[in-house]
Amino acid sequence: MISLRPSAWSLFIKLPFIVCLVVATVAAVIGMGVVEKDRAELRRALSARAELLARWVAAGSADSMLHNDPWSTFLTLRQVVSDGVGRDDHVVTAMVLDRDRRVIAHLRPAENPIGLPLVAPNEDERRLLSAAMAMTAPGVLEADGGQAIEGIAPVVAGAKSLGIVRVRLSTHHLSEALQESAMVVLALTLALTAIGSIIGVGLSLGAVRPLKRLADAMGQLGRGEHAPIMVPISGNDEIARLGEAFNRMAEEVAEKQRLERELAQSEKVAALGRVAAGVAHEVNNPLAGILNCVSTIRDHPEEVGLIDRYLPVIERGLLRIRAIIQDLLIEQRAENAINPSGPACLDEIRDLILAEVQGHSIVLEWDNRVPANVLVNRPQLQQAALNLLKNVVQAMADGGRLRFTATADSQSLCIEVEDSGVGIDPDDLGRIFDPFFSLRRGGTGLGLWITFRLVQAMGGSIEVSSEPGLGTLFKINVPVEGKADGPTTH
Amino acid sequence: MKVFSTGGDWWGRRTLLLSAFVLTLCLCPPAGAAEGPVRIALTAAAVRDELPFFDRWAAYLERKLDRKVEFVQRRSYREVIEMLRSGELDFSWMCSYSFVEARTSGLVDLVATPVFRGRPTYQSYIIVRRDSAARSLADLEGKSFAYTDPDSNTGYIIPRAMIRDAGSSPEKFFRLTFLTWDHGQAIEAVAEGVADGAAVDSYVWEYMAAMRPRFAAQTKIIQRSAEFGFPPMAVRRGVDPALRERFTAALLSMSSDPEGRHLLVEMMLDGFVVLPASQYDSVQALLVSAPR
Repeated sequence: MISLRPSAWSLFIKLPFIVCLVVATVAAVIGMGVVEKDRAELRRALSARAELLARWVAAGSADSMLHNDPWSTFLTLRQVVSDGVGRDDHVVTAMVLDRDRRVIAHLRPAENPIGLPLVAPNEDERRLLSAAMAMTAPGVLEADGGQAIEGIAPVVAGAKSLGIVRVRLSTHHLSEALQESAMVVLALTLALTAIGSIIGVGLSLGAVRPLKRLADAMGQLGRGEHAPIMVPISGNDEIARLGEAFNRMAEEVAEKQRLERELAQSEKVAALGRVAAGVAHEVNNPLAGILNCVSTIRDHPEEVGLIDRYLPVIERGLLRIRAIIQDLLIEQRAENAINPSGPACLDEIRDLILAEVQGHSIVLEWDNRVPANVLVNRPQLQQAALNLLKNVVQAMADGGRLRFTATADSQSLCIEVEDSGVGIDPDDLGRIFDPFFSLRRGGTGLGLWITFRLVQAMGGSIEVSSEPGLGTLFKINVPVEGKADGPTTH
Repeated sequence: MKVFSTGGDWWGRRTLLLSAFVLTLCLCPPAGAAEGPVRIALTAAAVRDELPFFDRWAAYLERKLDRKVEFVQRRSYREVIEMLRSGELDFSWMCSYSFVEARTSGLVDLVATPVFRGRPTYQSYIIVRRDSAARSLADLEGKSFAYTDPDSNTGYIIPRAMIRDAGSSPEKFFRLTFLTWDHGQAIEAVAEGVADGAAVDSYVWEYMAAMRPRFAAQTKIIQRSAEFGFPPMAVRRGVDPALRERFTAALLSMSSDPEGRHLLVEMMLDGFVVLPASQYDSVQALLVSAPR
């Protein structure tokens, strides 16, 4: 859809449009100049011609006027103006008048009887007649409001002025000639505009295509696509230099991504180390207790009461170790599982949570508003949500309200878990996702860490905000299409 | 005033006589060709601007006279009269009035009179533009009027006599008058609207109306004068009588010669006849009653 605002137009349209506009304007301005010059030239030529005809008649009329021979004067007038040299002119009228404005000869004698004063039909003509009579040298006057040019020449015999000759030529054929040249100019303008459009389109294709490729490539880069993104370079102009700069930047970005991947890998190794150390530490404590019990029982086989006393301790220690190992196994299983599925999978964990909630006075509000066509990575998301919810339920020893909300747009899926529990101390808030950090007695400290790890694995993020005494809000955001190297949806 | 009452009969009776006369002439040996050209003047009475025609007529007469023949054109009758007086011309086709005047002063004699539509007479036509409201010369009072030549019978003398007869002064009757020196141009002046009216030779007007109607067709006749003797071919007194005879015979024989007849047809004339001098008495009378 083409917007009406020029600023919104593509360069593909703008560039040819601008070239056309410039070409058309230049052609039109030059054309108008040519036509105007033509007009002035033609008018000058017509004026010169009108004056020449008047002078010619005046020269031929002097004798006949002097001899009072109006017939010869008429013949001269007719000969010059309509039969002879002036035949091709558009003569409106021509006349010879004496000093008293009487008609001596007129091209239309029937309407302008000779021997009588010339009758001017209107004020303009009267003014023109006076102006003509006042002329003492040949010249031209404008007549009929610019529609005609009148050549004036006094008839002089022996330094005596006998009268004047007026020859009026129409400027109509000037307009016709001008119209013709205007048509030529218009045709040229259109032709140049057409050529301009073609050149403009060519320019656009030449200049805009690399720009568009560049813009597309930048878009790809912006979306974080990893494939080596390069634009083809041709020529050595600014756009080519821009392309080269982009390619260098793309290489650097690719290099950075590689380094980041390596860094993440080593971080993973380091995290693994931390987990291992945590596991060692967590397992070591009960293990030390158990070994101590076993050692004491062996050293004092005679004291039968020792077994009854230490057996529960040993069992507790082993259960603790089992809980840690189970959590770690869950994390390990879920982290690499991939199974795209619809949003209904979230509702599957609802029953599990309802079972957890049993016995606590917790009200569960469940609101899954994710559209059915949105695909999520089922095992990871289920595990992450389950762990989070379990954690929250365990933290709500005094009961309260638990709200679960899932929404999604085209890009991401958002899960909000809000409780009305005791809240988290601000000092602890920064550490709750650390492994083996637990605010609950007997907690392994792995639940939220697992949630955090899974959300990370899905390329998402998790946030927590809490108000001590009022409750806590967890927000999980994950891309709906899964991870970049995960399965893609249609 | 009907001057010539016998009409067409007259022409028939003369034919036999003419043929005999021509026959005698042809037997005479031609005069020496060494003499200068025979010079014949043309005036407003003739249709003057048919120059190729006059060349052919001159060639025809040259063969008949065995002399070089030249037609001479002058603007006015007066110039022609002067040339006759000085002996530069031998013959002249002249207006009846000028002829009578010149004859009275002993300058010329009658040679032959053309016959137009069966009659050796002509009239003055008062013409106006076809769209004019004027019905007679009287309606042209205060208008512009074209005269031919102050010595022209039909183009000047007669219309002025008509105005005088009607009790007006020819000098004051029209608002403006001018001379065209030629009947054809007088017709043109009326057709173009330069003159509201004109008096022209009936022969010239009829010739124009038939042969070159461009201007004549734009005019109409509103009044005709009485008939007068047709403008004759005159000879200067003092021209060799033999040449005069041969010239007369050459003119008279044109109607019996195929080539001559062809030339006559072009002029719209029937032929030439010799008439008694009394034929021009009515014009003579104008000398007295209607002086210039």
